[in-house]
Amino acid sequence: MKLAVCLKLVPATTADIRVAADGKSLQLAGLETIISAYDEYALEAALKLRESAAGSSITAFTAGPEECLKCIQHAFALGVDSGVHVKATSIDGATAARAAAALFKDALPDVILCGRQGIDDDQWFFPGALAELLDIPHVTGVSALMLAPDGTSAQCRRRIEGGDQVIEVFLPAVISCDKGLNEPRAPTLKGRLDAKKKQALVKTPAELGISGESSVLRISAYSPPPQKNTGRTIELAPAQAAAEVVRLLREEAKII
Amino acid sequence: MCIQFVKRIRVPNILVIIEHSASRPKKVAGEQLTVARALAAGGEVHALLLGDGARAAAIDLGPLGADVVHVEEGGFERYASLRWLRAMAALSEALKPSAILFGAGSMARDLAGRLTMRLGGALASDCVQLSGSDGNFELVRPVYGGRVRISASFAGPGPLIATLRPNAFEAQKPAMPAAGKIVALAIPEEPYDLRSVVTELAKSSSTRPELTEASIIVSGGRSLGSAENFKLIYDLADALGAAPGASRAAVDAGYAPHTMQVGQTGKTVNPVLYIACGIRGAIQHLAGMRTSKYIVAIDKDPNAPLMKMADYAIVGDLFQVLPALTEEFKRVLKS
Repeated sequence: MKLAVCLKLVPATTADIRVAADGKSLQLAGLETIISAYDEYALEAALKLRESAAGSSITAFTAGPEECLKCIQHAFALGVDSGVHVKATSIDGATAARAAAALFKDALPDVILCGRQGIDDDQWFFPGALAELLDIPHVTGVSALMLAPDGTSAQCRRRIEGGDQVIEVFLPAVISCDKGLNEPRAPTLKGRLDAKKKQALVKTPAELGISGESSVLRISAYSPPPQKNTGRTIELAPAQAAAEVVRLLREEAKII
Repeated sequence: MCIQFVKRIRVPNILVIIEHSASRPKKVAGEQLTVARALAAGGEVHALLLGDGARAAAIDLGPLGADVVHVEEGGFERYASLRWLRAMAALSEALKPSAILFGAGSMARDLAGRLTMRLGGALASDCVQLSGSDGNFELVRPVYGGRVRISASFAGPGPLIATLRPNAFEAQKPAMPAAGKIVALAIPEEPYDLRSVVTELAKSSSTRPELTEASIIVSGGRSLGSAENFKLIYDLADALGAAPGASRAAVDAGYAPHTMQVGQTGKTVNPVLYIACGIRGAIQHLAGMRTSKYIVAIDKDPNAPLMKMADYAIVGDLFQVLPALTEEFKRVLKS
């Protein structure tokens, strides 16, 4: 079975992202970068699927500047078979999806795994957009994944408001992954050494025949989240503290 | 006259995708329609309702501001992404809306991105502000898990597909109800659309409100110490009709299920009141709840990040404060 996994390099969840003084840009240079948290579940899911179906292979995909190659190197260290880096100084979600579609369309993988959202732009765009371009079904944010014995379909579990959906999807499909699907493994030393022998295929969007602009939002300003006013500290015995906070919520905040 | 004609055909319709449960529109529908009315400015607000109970839920939408409500139940008994998309795309082709508004819930997560690619517009997820007219929009949305907000504009090509963060907009019923004309939508059934279909719906047994939609949330951290002690959280939540939540540390320790996790790898919530109990406030947790209108924090350590961010920070032992708070709320809510 042919598997693919799409990886995105993003600032670490703990990175101190600052807005430039003029509010027109973000100071991202020098921040620690990681593979987007949900993409890690996608990568682990790909490895597990390969283990369950003999003769399978995995291709890792990433798009963005030079540094994104880190994603492919990490995937290589975990034993992923091949990697493609679509190199561009900056790339929007739609262009990245077009690039992935251009790469995958001629030899369509049975399962394309992604994270449910990039934890940088938090758009939840890429998996559905890629599936649309490839004209195959998608499932969003799966927390359990089981392949049918004949390999033609998969059963997915997906959390929604007030419960879980069980979804049957026919392959090929794009499946985006949620937390809880698995526990991503760490590379071994041998894996890291073996990874050095592997080379990612590097392409530019132009080489993939992608031109023209996507219809995108024009960002006019960045701002830190609104700061809350300094609050009140209540240091009283439990019963009095409870009474005081309930009084404040009713009389000051007027929300109870 | 020619200019007037051009203007008339460009009057922007706004399409609102309404989710419903138990034959009633979800609460965020009122927020979506309020925003839609402001954006439509002379154009029409169209709503789309799909699935069992759509017809019954449709009746509620006129008073909330929908001029036309498109409904289809046949073939929408079981959720199938591609079939839902077909209906949305068909209606969008017919109406040529300048914006399509979802509530930021699981259906929007599943469909908004793909619909954007199909229609050739731009996606803006989790908008907390949205304004504009004549197909020119200004919006604000959080990125990087809420650590930064971007202000952005959009003027095409294609529609703006926006998902609205629940509770971020104030629902206002129009002074005069809109027509709310119910129109049957006919979407042919295509076998292709069943390539991905829900075969089973495992409803949670909980009767508590859903985290992402709740007005009040009571969240517990690792300081609770055990799954049994989370009863203190459930008791307070139930006294308030609130949704219970948990920090990642509490979930990872097995005290609460992942469905309750608030934060960057859990749910992003936006309640009127967030009561944090024994949660220090790691940056990933703050990312998921920092837009809460009011925050009450209970912790022994007055210097914990969440205590410093709280509107009301109770310094104390949560095993004593929580039961006292539950009793006090019960007392005042009864009176």
